[in-house]
Amino acid sequence: MSKFWRIAYHEYSRHVFRRRFLLALFSVPLVMVFMVVLIIVIIRMDSNPTPIGYIDHSGLLANSIPQPAAKWPERTVPMRAYTDETSAKADLQAGKLQVYYIIPEDYLQSGQAVQIYLKEPKGIATQQFDAFLTANLLANQPAEIANRLLDGSNLIVQSTDKSREASQDRFINILLPLLAGILFIVGMSTSSGYLMQAVVEEKENRTMEIMVTSVSPGQLMSGKVIADIAIGVTQLLVWAIFIILALVIGKNYIPFLSGLKFSGEMVGVIIAVMVPAFIMISGLMAAVGATVSEGSEGQQIMGLFTIPIWLPYILIAVFIQHPNSPLAIALSFFPLTAPMTIALRIGFTTIPTWQVIVSVIILVLSAIGAVWLVGRAFRLGMLRYGQRLHWKEIFSHQRV
Amino acid sequence: MSTVEISHISKSFGSLKAVDDVSFEVEKGEIFGLLGPNGAGKTTAIRVLLDIFKPDHGIVSILGGPMTESKKDRIGYMPEERGMYQDIQLDRCLVYLGSLKGLAPAEVQRRITGYLQRFDLVSSRHKKVKELSKGMQQKAQLITTLIHEPELVIIDEPFSGLDPINTQMVKDLLRQQRDKGVTILMSTHQMHQVEELCDRIVLIDHGRTVLYGRLDEIRRQFSGHAVIVRTPDQLPALPGVEHVEQHNSSTYRLNLMPSASTQDVLRNLVERGIQVDQFEIAAPTLDEIFIRVVQKDDQEQGER
Repeated sequence: MSKFWRIAYHEYSRHVFRRRFLLALFSVPLVMVFMVVLIIVIIRMDSNPTPIGYIDHSGLLANSIPQPAAKWPERTVPMRAYTDETSAKADLQAGKLQVYYIIPEDYLQSGQAVQIYLKEPKGIATQQFDAFLTANLLANQPAEIANRLLDGSNLIVQSTDKSREASQDRFINILLPLLAGILFIVGMSTSSGYLMQAVVEEKENRTMEIMVTSVSPGQLMSGKVIADIAIGVTQLLVWAIFIILALVIGKNYIPFLSGLKFSGEMVGVIIAVMVPAFIMISGLMAAVGATVSEGSEGQQIMGLFTIPIWLPYILIAVFIQHPNSPLAIALSFFPLTAPMTIALRIGFTTIPTWQVIVSVIILVLSAIGAVWLVGRAFRLGMLRYGQRLHWKEIFSHQRV
Repeated sequence: MSTVEISHISKSFGSLKAVDDVSFEVEKGEIFGLLGPNGAGKTTAIRVLLDIFKPDHGIVSILGGPMTESKKDRIGYMPEERGMYQDIQLDRCLVYLGSLKGLAPAEVQRRITGYLQRFDLVSSRHKKVKELSKGMQQKAQLITTLIHEPELVIIDEPFSGLDPINTQMVKDLLRQQRDKGVTILMSTHQMHQVEELCDRIVLIDHGRTVLYGRLDEIRRQFSGHAVIVRTPDQLPALPGVEHVEQHNSSTYRLNLMPSASTQDVLRNLVERGIQVDQFEIAAPTLDEIFIRVVQKDDQEQGER
């Protein structure tokens, strides 16, 4: 095994197999699972299976058919017919009914019914009665009309060239690039944070001289970069598996997620923007690590980089309204804000190709610049124990 | 061919000239002393030698040419700033650092057992490095310096933080390495250790070479025209003796006239029936030479 891989393996294993990392790694999906379980429990508790009674004076429910079965985790509420109100009332008081309805003779004309309860029923129960009533009212209609009416409307907005569309059902597709962007940046922050720490640590432990007299600075840095990217990817992968599982499972129960569709173009643009952004930010963080003498000092400087990275997220409302405004375009061309801006805009508009190309070129150049910077900062700052390297020294003519 | 050849190297940091036209050679299989007061430029010279810093001027040849990646596996370096990964177990740290010197981890594991026994660190092998005492960390550092059996060992202040027993052990270890043909470049302030171990030295001050050569020649060069005589008898007046200093009840320093020879003084003593327990040329200790040279250099620097 080459020295490069030994460094990478050492760096990776000593972070990933640590209790602190594993705890952070699994805490996010565990919190997600806990939230989902909590929601299911709340829905189960809210969907009371106690029957609903009705007294039908209109005759519409004479040969009633049951409402469509409720989707899990909701429970289907049985509907019970009464001929007179006295027995319905007695059952309500005895707790055998949660609510009962009186359907008047002129229901078809008035659309009014009377609801009687002791304790106001939950929306889930009344929705089931509505569904029961609708199903029975449409019972005599041809199946296609009945289904059409039951399905309701779905408004689809299409771009003039028909290349893009948005609808209520597919709202998730707008959020998808946003989510991907956030995930990517979280992973990137993890990796670059570890990278900065890894460089500072060599200084704090005074191991830098031993390292650079055992391996080349190139091997040392690339080993660490690969390891720390792998740490970020490990984190993303574990989270992504949980998220995909959640989406796949959730798709069956949550209509909001059912329109989920990945667009190849969108994925391509996000990757083209994020990869150089990843290298650029990792390079900057490593350079910070090489210039400072202690980890805490590095964390503060890191904060300065983090603000512009997240800035577009704060301006999300502006992007939704004006995804092609000069501000949005300008932020797409500024290296630190570009990754998040592109991820946000792509959900709400078709970004002109030239803008994507310019943004990617700027990011690639910035990434090259960051790699150059870290190389120089590293050679100049690696043996500065307890003393900061000033940025102007990096740009000086000093030979390294 | 010398193991290390440094020829007219200079290195500046901003306006500070840390090393100024320094040249020396380290021969194969010798223990060479790199001496100098604090801030003289010793560590910078070592870093230039190891290609950690590029020199502004001059040429460095190590193991027969410029530094290369493969040569790093043939060199053991113990820097002045001792460095170990504090947050991991000792044996893991040793295996990692050893494996970066081109050894397979299993081989490092096999070798460290012997070293840990020798250095009395067996019971600490599973402890975190930060839990070890300074002396223990120093010994662990020596293991990382020697584990890959280097041809050249560069060691900065090898005895700092060690008790007399461990100091003796390290000295024995260095002699053993030399006997095996390993070249050792040692930088230290502890002159008596240099006198015991080194064959040749270079003394640098203010970044410049002020002394360089064989230790015995340097001492001869600095010896005044005097002899040390130890005798229980009373010393009579002797021809050729300019002045007598009594060191203690039986030891005298006899400063001689320029025309007098030490042989004549000895003959005169014997002829007068004086019991001579010790008669030696009064050579200064390395400590004295060091202080004399550095003070003179400081004066010259002040005058400039």
